[in-house]
Amino acid sequence: MNKTPPRWADKFLSWYCNPRLLEEIQGDAYELYERRCEEKGKTVADRSFVWEVLRFLRWSNIKRSNSKYQLNNYPMFKNYLKVGVRNMSKNMVASSINVFGLALAVGVAITVFIFIDYQYSVDSFHNNYDNIYEVINHVKEDDQVQKWGDSPMLLGPEMLSNHSEVKRIARIEYQRGNIRYGDNVFNELIVFTDPDFMRIFDYPILYGNKSVLDNKQQLIISYEYAVKYFGDENPMGKEVSIKFSNNEIRTFTVGAVFDEWPKNMSFGFNVMVPISNFFNLKFKDNYNWADYTDATFVELYPERDPLPLESAMQPYAELQNSTNSKWPIERFQLWPLSTLALSNFEIDGSVAEGSHPAGRVALSVIAILLLTLACFNYMNLALASATKRLKEIALRKVFGSARKGIINQFLTENVLLCLFALLIGTLLSYTVLLPGFNSLIPIFIPFAFSSLQTAVIFFVGLLILIGLASGAYPAFYISKFEPVRIFTGKQKFGHRSIFSKIMLTFQFIIAFTTVIGSFVFTDNALYLKEKDWGYDQANVLSIPIGDSKLFAGLRDKALQNKEIKSIAGAKYHIARANKMTTIERLESQFTVMSYDVGFNYLETMNIRLLEGRFFEQSKPSDLTHSMVVSQDLVKKLEIDDPLNGTIKYDSINYRIIGVVDDFYYNDFFSDRHPVFFRMSKEEDFGYLALKCTPGNLKEVDEYMKAAWLELAPNDPYNGKYQNDVFQRFYSDNESNIIIISFISVFAIILASIGLFGLLSLNTAKRMKEFSIRKALGADQLSIIKLANKDYMWVIFISFFVGAPIGYLLIMQVINAIYTEPQGSGWTPFILALLIMLTTIVLTVSGQVLKASRANPAENLRVE
Amino acid sequence: MVLLTVGSLYKEAYGVAIMDEITGQTGRNVNISAVHAVLQRLEKKGLVKSSMGGATNERGGRRKRYFTLTQAGKASLDQSMALRSQLYQSIPNLGFNFSSI
Repeated sequence: MNKTPPRWADKFLSWYCNPRLLEEIQGDAYELYERRCEEKGKTVADRSFVWEVLRFLRWSNIKRSNSKYQLNNYPMFKNYLKVGVRNMSKNMVASSINVFGLALAVGVAITVFIFIDYQYSVDSFHNNYDNIYEVINHVKEDDQVQKWGDSPMLLGPEMLSNHSEVKRIARIEYQRGNIRYGDNVFNELIVFTDPDFMRIFDYPILYGNKSVLDNKQQLIISYEYAVKYFGDENPMGKEVSIKFSNNEIRTFTVGAVFDEWPKNMSFGFNVMVPISNFFNLKFKDNYNWADYTDATFVELYPERDPLPLESAMQPYAELQNSTNSKWPIERFQLWPLSTLALSNFEIDGSVAEGSHPAGRVALSVIAILLLTLACFNYMNLALASATKRLKEIALRKVFGSARKGIINQFLTENVLLCLFALLIGTLLSYTVLLPGFNSLIPIFIPFAFSSLQTAVIFFVGLLILIGLASGAYPAFYISKFEPVRIFTGKQKFGHRSIFSKIMLTFQFIIAFTTVIGSFVFTDNALYLKEKDWGYDQANVLSIPIGDSKLFAGLRDKALQNKEIKSIAGAKYHIARANKMTTIERLESQFTVMSYDVGFNYLETMNIRLLEGRFFEQSKPSDLTHSMVVSQDLVKKLEIDDPLNGTIKYDSINYRIIGVVDDFYYNDFFSDRHPVFFRMSKEEDFGYLALKCTPGNLKEVDEYMKAAWLELAPNDPYNGKYQNDVFQRFYSDNESNIIIISFISVFAIILASIGLFGLLSLNTAKRMKEFSIRKALGADQLSIIKLANKDYMWVIFISFFVGAPIGYLLIMQVINAIYTEPQGSGWTPFILALLIMLTTIVLTVSGQVLKASRANPAENLRVE
Repeated sequence: MVLLTVGSLYKEAYGVAIMDEITGQTGRNVNISAVHAVLQRLEKKGLVKSSMGGATNERGGRRKRYFTLTQAGKASLDQSMALRSQLYQSIPNLGFNFSSI
């Protein structure tokens, strides 16, 4: 008797077993156990007990919930649904506001989710997705370690031959070239790559196969380019000629055509040729470890750990550093393809396009805030409208409904409503939000999920989350009331409920957070839109000239046009061709941007001179030993008397002849380096810069194009207004403003909906109070004050809590995105407060006016 | 088989006893859960009825559920008995006459 069966098995039995059968089953099992204990010992008995317990695990023995009420459940749910639908149609306005608000938030949430889901699944169509890495360099630059996408030219082949875990490698080398087919000539980005590129990656191929680049004479082009060059003709086997930047012309055969790019692709190249051509073209006689290529991709054999390989690559870094490269490598890192696009912002010169994580984080935070806002709305309204249904609840209870039943009822109604909102939200996201969002961002995101599983989890999760979050409180709270108290009218509820006021406050805090956040962001974006570039970029046109011989001819043509005020040539051009390099002063090195320019260039570009002078034709020493530097450089080098200072560059000492104002050669996302100008010879010119009289830019552009066609019919004309060089940045900025304004409008709408619903119910309830006051002589104004008083406090408290939170949050985002964030003035705050107050007053006044205007007699009469 | 055992045990028919009886009479090993499953089915069909017995010190204080035959159960036993014997009656004429085949 002192021997007992294993406790866990016994517990398991009592857990699963139907309580009505438990006693006999357990009894029999015990009896057998006792008998076996005596006959065969405890161990055997224990074992057979467990076996028995498992054998008893049958469908007929398993406990089913509520099996007592089984018959009753279905009609009851039907009744809940019916009452729910009736209730909804009775309060048509309130429930449609409810559903609409929820749908709006859900729509935003779905859109944001698709956006983020898309970004995380980007590039996953490559079969070797998990085994592909890009070699990232940690380069030491001014005592700071930078991550570079560029890697040594010789690294890839070395890795392939020396490390067994490396399966394939592919280098990416960018060059520009003019591609010609028949009369079509375009200047294109041409990518030299190892033939294995096609095998590492799985881009869909329309014609041809993966071995296309094994043949040195073949190239592969994208679908888009095939259409661009060959139109309706079959591109396969067509011959195109490419004129490279060293003026060599090579002929290639189209050996394959990519299919249309997959939607979730972060990088793909339009023209790819085998890399052996690159070495044949002899851009340089010999390549050593100091030479960089734009990217190196490595495919490892499956299930290999990249970390040991990374440390094994250390000797290469030393090899590279021993060449006295300007960019010493600290170490190599193998960056997985899966996070390459996501970390685009961290890597300098990454091939994969991706967005900044600040955007992702901000959008998800906003989506969650909006959802919370909508759920609170819902909760508040549900609570308030439940006051009207107190009697129904009491009656249900009197007729024997358990508390559980009432909770079930409310939850059913809620889930139903949420389902409805979910449907509308999905529709909204599909028809309006996502297409709208797509029109604002440079990429196109289809309305799709990375997998069915993700979609199901997301939607079910969302339904449960909002269904429970918005419905749980009313359900659990109301179901607690005692019928007697309700019937006798003693149940005080919703009248001056602290809870709903706290919720409202919270809601408005969120609304203010969002609104202030978006206003500060917009303020910053608007500021950037107007921000001074440091030079006068209007009225400047620049034309890249592939061949410096073209310069003289173009200049002569330009001289004939009266609208052109100033002409200059340059090797590099601000914003279109910036050259990063290092200079020396007093034994220390500094990273700078450099421009080799012709006479008159600085004047043409309207660079602002602060001290000294620009380059002068009358001084021949300017050509070889003079520099004009930016103020940043003077500060960085700590030169006290800049005009007497010298700088060493390429082992030549340059004298500083002028100091100019700092200017932006890159958009405002990127860091700004100090800048120097030195003179360039005419045979090195790569750009022509023109300054025109105001308003004639377009004419001059057309004039120059005509001149170009005359002089160089074989090369494409690529003139660009200086105003447009940061076009991408400005369109991004514009999109940000639109997106964020939409979000703040949503937040305001949602908060007002909440306020409106709550207010309409509360005023309706206080109608009698107002009427009595009126009958006793209160004027309209005092009633309006009375009705508004409670809410004004809520709004002010929320403002003072929400505004700083919103400000701090958005400043984090701004600091993460922009390099030179601009603190915000008071305008956004005042504007936000004003807008919110106006919305609130409009929402409130409709309701309150109804109350204050009503005839007291009508409200006080009891029939 | 179980139904027969319930009948034969008369007032002492509960899970373990039925199992023992079957094992004892036929030598077949039956699992207790199988017996329970059959008893549940029979009860649903109305061939047996059950009542809980009094609590004892055995079985960890758990009560026994005793099964008894109902009229329908008895009738169905009779019927299957009749069927069997009828079939049995028809055997000797054919079954033992191997030589004729």
